[in-house]
Amino acid sequence: MRRSGGGSNLRATHFIRLNREGASLNSLSASSHKPLFPRGPGLGLKTLALLMVCGGLMAAELDGERIKSPREWLAVALRPVVWMAELPDQVGLAFEHLDSRQRLLNENIALKNRQLTLEAQLQRYAALDAENRRIRELLDASARLTDQVAVADIVAANQDPYRQQITLNKGERDGVYRGQAIIDASGVLGQVVEVLPGTSIGLLLTDPDHGIPVEINRNGLQAIALGQGSGQRLRLSFLPANAEIMKGDLVVSSSLGGRFPAGFPVGRVESVEHTPGGHFKEALVTPAARVGQGRQALLVWSERPAIDALQASEAAAAEAQQIKPAASAVAAKPAAKPAVAAKPATPAQPTQAPPSTQPPAAKPAPASPPPPAEKPATPASATPAPAAPEPAAPARPAPTAPGP
Amino acid sequence: MSRTPFRRFWLSLLVALFLQLVALPDAVAAARPLWIPLILVYWALAEPRVPALISAFLLGIALDVLYNTVLGQHAMGFVLLVFFMARLRAVFVLFPLWQSTIALIPAWAAYCLLMTMVDDISRHRADVWLRWLPALSTTLFWPLVYTVLEGATRRHSQE
Repeated sequence: MRRSGGGSNLRATHFIRLNREGASLNSLSASSHKPLFPRGPGLGLKTLALLMVCGGLMAAELDGERIKSPREWLAVALRPVVWMAELPDQVGLAFEHLDSRQRLLNENIALKNRQLTLEAQLQRYAALDAENRRIRELLDASARLTDQVAVADIVAANQDPYRQQITLNKGERDGVYRGQAIIDASGVLGQVVEVLPGTSIGLLLTDPDHGIPVEINRNGLQAIALGQGSGQRLRLSFLPANAEIMKGDLVVSSSLGGRFPAGFPVGRVESVEHTPGGHFKEALVTPAARVGQGRQALLVWSERPAIDALQASEAAAAEAQQIKPAASAVAAKPAAKPAVAAKPATPAQPTQAPPSTQPPAAKPAPASPPPPAEKPATPASATPAPAAPEPAAPARPAPTAPGP
Repeated sequence: MSRTPFRRFWLSLLVALFLQLVALPDAVAAARPLWIPLILVYWALAEPRVPALISAFLLGIALDVLYNTVLGQHAMGFVLLVFFMARLRAVFVLFPLWQSTIALIPAWAAYCLLMTMVDDISRHRADVWLRWLPALSTTLFWPLVYTVLEGATRRHSQE
């Protein structure tokens, strides 16, 4: 009732204004274009201004990099709202905590058994690891078997059904960086796309925006696995028509592109399609990681991406013969500590190694990106003396290594 | 004339933001009603004195940050929606509830279309057919939201 009163009011004002302007309508003066309801800037003007702001923001973001710092402030400011929205979920979890004792006991036993089995496997693995490292040292290759990892809690999931994103409770303060790989117990989960001071946002493997370089474990065939949305499989498209790939093949991450550590399982080939006459094959892969289940994820500090290694090798070339900057630049990323620890290791090397052996070791450094990464590792593990800094560099599997 | 219901306005928007963010099971997540547009459209149609336009913009930016979409995507949708509804207020006051429910379907559909288009421009692929589900669920929720908010307003004005 009140609203219809308001409507007739508006109409009345309208008529009054029209009558008042009746005289000026004949002469068509500029005042005939005045807005009917002159209270502050008109609705259209305000809308136009706001739309221009929106358009400017979108153009800026679509064009290049995301507008980072305002996003961070807003994300921090909106934390209470997110927390409130998660309350129902938390309540559900709280009920889960009040579970029966028997179930917990059973689970405990199961976990203990599992740990025992895994430990047994690990014993064999340690020997294999050592052997592998020795052989790799002979090859002067840079790949390592173990990487530094940290457990992060998944504190929120994006509620937009078309975006597979998770929020982790580790951020810039914990040394998380953009592009870092996220894994779970059974495979690659995704990568970090945005780092905030205390949290970070990860893009899942299955997001339509995500692609990951992979290789078929059986024969080393390289491909790219593209996400297709929630609950869907990954797609390997544009495989050569004669590519050897079949159902059940294990697909593992590849270090091509320098983003993901190599060798983590991504999934298994579910089906291979080849339209007769088509130039390409296409395969669907079921993700190995339990996407959308579980509350924890592992962040992997692998070696720095290839681009940085390249920069480091350039720096090494510039500082002719001096390996130190390259070593510290390569070791800089994982944390502040390894960088400090790496320094004492390198000066120790020239004093022990005769000068005649150094040039051949230093030469390949500017030529190819990966070798400089290994440079500090090779002398450090080859000589037993600088064993002290070893624990500070957790990426190295040296503690289990016997002497050469 | 009654006091401008600022308090109820902000409270309802906060509730809408909450409903937009609360976790839903995967099966129905794609059909989540457009809660914030629902509430904004109600206020744009029912109450000319509340700052619906500027709050549409602010909520849009907030949702962009929370959903990690391109900054300005939701803000643009909300602002356009509020603008057109405020313009059509004189038409909608004449409609009974069932008529306004039907008359609003194009508005929800246009909003979904706009979001799809912006996602397309930002090269974010998504299943196109599922994107129309919110238009349906929002239409179903409109009578409920309208009745609840209108009831709150009437009770308030009687006091």
